[in-house]
Amino acid sequence: MIEKIEKIRKRIAEREVPDVPTIVISSGTCGRARGSLKVIKAFEEEVKRRNLDGKLKLRITGCHGFCEAEPNVVIQPDEIFYQHLKPEDVPEIIDATLDGKVVEKFLYADPKTGERFVHKDEIPFYRKQMQLLMGNNLLVDPTSIDDYIAIGGYKALDKVLEELSGEDVIEIIKKSGLRGRGGAGFPTGFKWAFCRKAPGDTKYIICNADEGDPGAYMDRSLLEGNPHSVLEGMIIGAYAIGANEGWIYVRHEYPLAVKNVTRAIEQARELGLLGENILGSGFSFDIKIMEGAGAFVCGEETALIYSLEGRRGTPRQRPPFPIKKGLFGKPTNINNVETWANVPQIINRGADWFASIGTEMSKGTKIFSLVGKVNNTGLVEVPMGITLREVIFDIGGGIPCDKKFKAVQTGGPSGGCIPEELIDLPVDYESLTKAGAIMGSGGMIVMDENTCMLDIAKYFLNFLVDESCGKCVPCREGVQRMLEIVTRITEGKGCEEDLELLEELGNVVKDTSMCGLGQTAPNSVLATLRYFKDEYLAHIKRMRCPAAVCKEIISSPCQHTCPIDTEVPVYISMIATGQYEEALKTIKKDNPLSSTLARVCHHPCERKCRSGEGGEPIAIRGLKRFVTDYGLKNNLLLKAEVFPKNGKGKVAVVGSGPAGLGCAFELRQEGYEVTIFEKLPVVGGMLVVGIPEYRLPKEILQSDIDYITSAGIDVQTNTALGRDFSISDLFTNGYKAVFIATGAHKSLKLNIPGEDARGVYPSMEVLTALNLGKGIAIGKRVGIVGGGNSAVDAARAVLRTGIPKSVSIFYRRTIAEMPAFKEEVEAALEEEIDIRFLTAPMRINAENGELKSCEFVKMRLGEYDSSGRRRPVPIKGSEFTVELDTLIVAISEKPDISFAEEAGLLVTKWETLSVDAETFATPLKGVFAGGDVTTGPNTVVDAVAAGKIAARSIDQFISGRKIMREYKITRPSKYLPPLELSDEELLETGRRAMPHLAPQERKHIFKEIELGFDEKDAVKEAKRCIRCDLETCDGKRFLEELKEFSKVN
Amino acid sequence: MPNITIDGIEFEAEEGWTILEVAKFLGLEIPTLCYDEGLSPWGGCRLCIVEIGVGDKSKLVTSCTYPVEEGLVVRTASKRVVHARKVIVELLLAQCPLSKTIQDLAAKLGVQKVRFTPKWEDCIYCGKCVRICEEQMQANAIGFVNRGNKLKITTPFDKTSDVCRRCGACMYICPACMLRCEGPEPPGVVCGGCYNELQPTCLEYYDNYMCYEGLKGDCGTCIREKPETKTVQKQGGKDVVDKT
Repeated sequence: MIEKIEKIRKRIAEREVPDVPTIVISSGTCGRARGSLKVIKAFEEEVKRRNLDGKLKLRITGCHGFCEAEPNVVIQPDEIFYQHLKPEDVPEIIDATLDGKVVEKFLYADPKTGERFVHKDEIPFYRKQMQLLMGNNLLVDPTSIDDYIAIGGYKALDKVLEELSGEDVIEIIKKSGLRGRGGAGFPTGFKWAFCRKAPGDTKYIICNADEGDPGAYMDRSLLEGNPHSVLEGMIIGAYAIGANEGWIYVRHEYPLAVKNVTRAIEQARELGLLGENILGSGFSFDIKIMEGAGAFVCGEETALIYSLEGRRGTPRQRPPFPIKKGLFGKPTNINNVETWANVPQIINRGADWFASIGTEMSKGTKIFSLVGKVNNTGLVEVPMGITLREVIFDIGGGIPCDKKFKAVQTGGPSGGCIPEELIDLPVDYESLTKAGAIMGSGGMIVMDENTCMLDIAKYFLNFLVDESCGKCVPCREGVQRMLEIVTRITEGKGCEEDLELLEELGNVVKDTSMCGLGQTAPNSVLATLRYFKDEYLAHIKRMRCPAAVCKEIISSPCQHTCPIDTEVPVYISMIATGQYEEALKTIKKDNPLSSTLARVCHHPCERKCRSGEGGEPIAIRGLKRFVTDYGLKNNLLLKAEVFPKNGKGKVAVVGSGPAGLGCAFELRQEGYEVTIFEKLPVVGGMLVVGIPEYRLPKEILQSDIDYITSAGIDVQTNTALGRDFSISDLFTNGYKAVFIATGAHKSLKLNIPGEDARGVYPSMEVLTALNLGKGIAIGKRVGIVGGGNSAVDAARAVLRTGIPKSVSIFYRRTIAEMPAFKEEVEAALEEEIDIRFLTAPMRINAENGELKSCEFVKMRLGEYDSSGRRRPVPIKGSEFTVELDTLIVAISEKPDISFAEEAGLLVTKWETLSVDAETFATPLKGVFAGGDVTTGPNTVVDAVAAGKIAARSIDQFISGRKIMREYKITRPSKYLPPLELSDEELLETGRRAMPHLAPQERKHIFKEIELGFDEKDAVKEAKRCIRCDLETCDGKRFLEELKEFSKVN
Repeated sequence: MPNITIDGIEFEAEEGWTILEVAKFLGLEIPTLCYDEGLSPWGGCRLCIVEIGVGDKSKLVTSCTYPVEEGLVVRTASKRVVHARKVIVELLLAQCPLSKTIQDLAAKLGVQKVRFTPKWEDCIYCGKCVRICEEQMQANAIGFVNRGNKLKITTPFDKTSDVCRRCGACMYICPACMLRCEGPEPPGVVCGGCYNELQPTCLEYYDNYMCYEGLKGDCGTCIREKPETKTVQKQGGKDVVDKT
C-alpha cells in the first residue's frame, strides 16, 4: 500500500527539473481582488514569449498570508519576496530572476525606517510567524494533487492506514493537545473518542467551513490554498471515528474555495485516496460538499446539521450533542477547517512535537486574520502563547498614520475587545476568555484612537441583530434591545441606568440563550463596558465621543474636537463661497485669540478630520489664518463689542496668558468688570515670552490683545500675585471672584552634576530674553537638552540670533516619541539643526565655573512604560563628550506656585494647583484656576478653553447658582447649503501645503516663516471639506428643507 | 431509571423523561410558553430554564428539552433562574404588551416595570402554530421566514396557501395574538390587573418549598405584604415613597 503513494511521489520527483528558479504567485481571493490574475497572465505570456520552459517555473498558489502586499510573488529557492506587483513589472522580475539578481524597488520596505528586505523570512511580518499550515500554501498549487504529494502529502494517511488503529490515532490526537480551532477550543481527541464510542453503525464527519465573522478568512485561505491538507485530515479523522461519509459545509460566498476543494476531491478519488477501499486498506470513505447560503448562525453545529439536512438553519437545544445524535440522527463529528488541517502534521511529526509548541493548555499554532487599523494586514500563523503586542506591533507593524493603539477585538462579533493595558496578554484560549474576549475562529480587528468603542459594540450588535436566527427570546429580543440602548447612548440620549440595564441584560442573554451565537452575542458590549466604561460615561454625562465618531453627538469631528467649540464647518463653507467677513465673525464668536491660534494652534481638529480618513485632512488652521489675515488687512473686527455692565461686580484675573485672556473676555461679555493683573511688563504670558517671533509675530499677538482689551478690560502690568498683592487683598478690594492663570514658566532642572556652571541656561530664560529683546550671552556651540516644543523653539530661536555655529538638540528617545509638534521638528531639521536621538546628558564639565563640555550617554529603547512609550535605557560604555559653549535645558516647565501656601490653595504632586476638573474651582471659595498652572505645560487652545469654562463657573458662582459644567451635543449655530462642485474641483483631493520661507532664507532672521494661503488656494482648500456636519438628523432635515425650498422656487 | 434531586426532592424518574416532565409529575411549577405536551420540544421561549449542577459548574438549561440523567441536581427556582425569567418576560412584554398570557406571566413573576420601549407586536415567535400545523394537522402550511429582527411566520412566499385547511389550530394554540388583554391599554406596559387580584397573600415569612403558588417567594408578594415603614414626601408635585 505504502508503495503506491511512494510511487507517485517518485514519479513526481523524476519529473521535477532541478535547480530552476520558481516564481510563486499568490492568487487567493485576496490576491485576485488586487489584480493577481493580470499579473499571472503577464508572467505566463512572458514565459511563453521568451520560451523559458525548463529555465523558469511558475506556480500559482493560494494566499501567502501578507494580504497587504498583494499581489506578491516569492522567488524560490532563494525566497525573494516582491510585493505590490503590476503586470508591467513582470519582464523586469523575470530578467532579474534569470540573472540571479534582486529588483530593489519591488522589495518590501519598512514603512518607518524605509529598510528593504530581500528574503521573505526577514520581513518583520513573517519573522515571528510559525507557518506550519500557511507555509505549505507557497509550496503547492492547490489544483495539483501532485504538488501536495511531492511535499509529503498523504504520507500521514499511509501511516495511519498501515500501522495504526482508530484508537491509536485518537490517542495521538489526545496526546498532542489539539483543541478545536473553531473557537470554543474543545479537545479534538476527546470529541473523536466520544463519537467513536457513540452507539450506531453509521457515523458522519463534517468539516465546518462556514466562516462568517466580518474580517476573518483563515479557513478560506486554507481551503483555497491547500485543500488536500484538509481532506487528508478528514480521511484520517473518519478512519479514527469509524465514519464512511463526510461533508464539507462551505459558504457559497467562497467560490474559489468551493472550486479548489471540489477539484481536490475528484483528484483524491482518482488516486483512490477517497471512495471504496482506500489504498487497499478496506476502509471506505467519501466526502461531499454542501454550499451554505450565508447565514452566520449556520456555523453553529446544530444549525449547520439542520441546514445540511435541508431544513431551516436554526440551532436546536443540546443535549443530545451531535456526537450522539447529529446528522440524520446519527453520531456526527464536526470540526473546523483548521483543526482538520492540523491532523496530518500531528501524525507525521508526532504528538510530542506538536505538544511542544504553545502553552500548557493551548498547543500548536493558530492562524489569525489580522485586520483593521494595522499596517500589515493579512493572515498570521503564530504559536499559541505569543503576546498580542508581538502580533500587532512586531508582525502587524503597528498602527498606521502614527495613531495610538486603542484595543483589539478577537473572535469577531462573538468576541470581545482587549484594551491597551492587556496588550502583553498571551494569546491562548484561557487568557482570552479570562479577559472577556474569545479566541473564536481567529479574527483580530485592531482599533486605533479614532475608533469609538460604542460604535464598535453597535456595529457588532447590528450584525448580530440580523444574524440571530430568532428562535430563542433572549438572543432575538435581548440583542435588539441592547442595540437599542447602545444606539440611544451614541445619540446622546442615554442615562446612567442604561449601563446597569445593559450589563444585566447582557448577562441574562449570555446565560440563557440556546446556542453559542446568543451566548456570546453580548460579549462586545460586556467587554467594552468592562474596559471602556469611561467612554460610555463620556457619551452619557458629557455628550462627548472621545474618538469623534458618534454622529448624532459630534455633528462634525472638527467642531466636536475643538476645545473652544469653534464652528469649523460653518466658516470653512463661508470661505468656499467667499464670505470672508462672515467667516471671521464665526471664528471670533468662539475664539478671541483668533489670529494667534491661527498660527500656533496644535489643531486637534485636523487629526480627527473625516477627509483625513484615507486621504488628507483639510488644512483647517491654514484656512483660519487666511480669514484672520484678511480681517487684519481690511481692518475688520479689530475692536470687540463693549457689553453693558451687568452690575454683578468685579472679577480679578491673575495672569494675561491665553487662559487669563480667554476668561477675562468671556466674563466681560457676560457684563462683569474685569481686571487682569500681569507680573511681566508685557501682556500675553507664555504667548509673548514663550513663542518665538518667527512663529507668532508680536504685532499679530498685539492685534488679538487689543481686540480683547477693547471690550473694556483693565490690565495692570508689573503686578505680581504674592509679591504685590495677595488673594485676600483682592477680595478686600471688592473683587467677587478670582481666576488664577499664572502659567508654567519655571524650567525643570536636569539634576546632574555641574548644572550651575555659567553658560547653562533654562530654556524659558533664553526664550524670554530673546522675545523681550534682552541680551543673553550665547556661545558658538549650543546644545539643547529635551524633546518638547520649548526645546525646538529654543534651538530655532538661538539659531536665528546668528551667533551659534552649531545647534544640536539631544533627546533621550527617538523622533517617534518626541512630544514637540511634528511640523516644528521637521522645520528644525530643514534648518540643519542637528537632533541627536537616544542621547541623554550625564554630567556637565566646567572650568572656572564656565561650561566646557557635556558628557552624554547613548540610550536604547527598553520595555514599554505606563505611558505606552518605550522606556529609554542607558547603554553601558557608550558615554561620549561634546564640547559646548552654551547648554539650554528644555526638559519641561512647571508653574511657579510660591503664592499657593499663603493663600491656602491645594497643590498636586506635580506642583500644579489642584482644581475641580469639571468647573476649575479651587477649594477656596470664589477662587478658580486654569491653564498651565493647573495642568503643567499644555497647548494654547486648551488654556483658552480652560479660561472660557472657568468664566462660566465664575458667572454661576457670582450669580449664586450651583457651580456645574453644562454639556450639550455639538451642533453648528447654523447650516449652510452644500456646494455644487465642478468635476475638476471634485478631482482636486490633495491638501494644499502651507507656503513657507525657504530654510536658507529664514534660518537667520526672526521673520514669520509661514506665509499663509492666498485667496485662490484658500477657496480651493475650503471646497475640499466633505461637510460631514450635514450627516446628523438635524443636518439631513436642513437638506430636505433646502430641497423643498428650491422646488417651490 | 435515573435518580435525580429536584428542589431538594430525591426522585427516581422514568427513563427518557425531561426535567419539565419530572417537575410536572411532582407538582413543581415551571412557567412555560412555547412548550405544549402535544408538540415536539422547541426550547425557544427560555422561560422553563432551570439550574443544574452545583457551584461554579452550574448552568441554566431548558427543562422542556433536557433529559434526566443519573445524579442530576436541579433547582427550578434559584435566584439566577428567577432573575433570568423575569428579564425574559420583561423582553416579551415589551415586544407584545397586549398578550394576556404574557401579562399574567409577568404578574406571576413579579415583573413590575418594563425598561424597554414597547413594540406593540402581535407575535412572540414561539413557533407553536408552526409546530401544530406540521405535527398535528400535518398541513405544513406555515413556517418561519427570514431571521433575526426580520423573522416572521407566514405561508410560503406570503401567498394564500393551497394546503391550509383553515382548521384554526394555529390560532387556537397561540399564546400571544388570540388571547388579548381586554383591560384598558395599560400605562407603562405592565398591566397584570386581573392576575394580581388572584395573588395570594403570603405569610410573613415565605417557606422555600411551601409557597401556595409554587413561587418560592420570588414573586415578591410576601415581601410587598410585609409591613414597611414608609414616608411620603411631596417633591415637585410628585409623591416620592421613601423606603426605610
